[in-house]
Amino acid sequence: MSVQVTIREEACRGCQMCVDVCPTKVFTYDDAAAKARVSGVEDCIACLSCVYLCPSMAINEAGYTAVKNFYRDLDFSRRMERFL
Amino acid sequence: MNRTNRRRSRSRRRTPPAPAVQEKEYKGHQGNTRGHHVKEMEATRTTLQETMTFMTALAYGMEQMADRGANGMAFVAGKKLGAKLAETSQKTDDITQALDTVRKLLSANHCNWGFETFKRKAQPTLITKGADGAEKLELVFRDCMIRQSLFRYGHVQKGSMCYMMYGFFSGALEAILGRRAVLEVTHAGQNACLKCLTVHSKES
Ligand code: SF4
Ligand code: SF4
Repeated sequence: MSVQVTIREEACRGCQMCVDVCPTKVFTYDDAAAKARVSGVEDCIACLSCVYLCPSMAINEAGYTAVKNFYRDLDFSRRMERFL
Repeated sequence: MNRTNRRRSRSRRRTPPAPAVQEKEYKGHQGNTRGHHVKEMEATRTTLQETMTFMTALAYGMEQMADRGANGMAFVAGKKLGAKLAETSQKTDDITQALDTVRKLLSANHCNWGFETFKRKAQPTLITKGADGAEKLELVFRDCMIRQSLFRYGHVQKGSMCYMMYGFFSGALEAILGRRAVLEVTHAGQNACLKCLTVHSKES
């Protein structure tokens, strides 16, 4: 399944942060509507930077595999504290 | 206290062994018992996590002391490792074949560092050739242990640990292709990173 990217239009405030951050130019800016549009979803690598950055949380992605992050191991964190 | 009494008193002090914990067996969807595989995987993952977190803490410390010099040091260390691991690999002129060799090298060294080639829709070919003869292609790294370690403590990306990885790829690919290879980060994301690999021509 390929990645799907959608923008909730009513939430978009037209800041263009998604346009600037996307490394593969998935978004374009619609001047007339003052909103971002998804125009090249085929090139999305699912880096999720747009999702994290959008101040309105207007971007939604589906059909990607989320990387499993390391667990929070409190015991180990305690041992590592002195290095930080 | 004579020797026998001392031995007796020591054995009395010894704490009794903990009762054996009954491990819950994990049964897969086909009814297979895979409990030991799950345990083995968890142990390996914990070891990897602890090692990587420790390395990230060291890299962070190094960055504080040596500033940008830390990136250079990490790059050279990674490059040496890549060159060493690939020194006996079969040589080729084909970049995709060389990447496949690197992938196998990583896997043979128990390094689960997956990457895939990336072609933009508007791009006619995977590899593009510049006027200077240099060949370029993009790579996507998803499940990257460096990114996971950095996020674990909120460290920034594109630091010395990432440079170690660029070094590794440069070293390994140069050994396989016999040409200068440079891996640069185009974008460091939360769930994937996009990198550009440039392999220079033999003449340059
Ligand atoms: S970052 Fe969010 S709010 Fe800003 S233009 Fe893009 S979708 Fe709209
Ligand atoms: S996930 Fe990354 S590649 Fe995909 S649209 Fe967002 S910023 Fe672009």
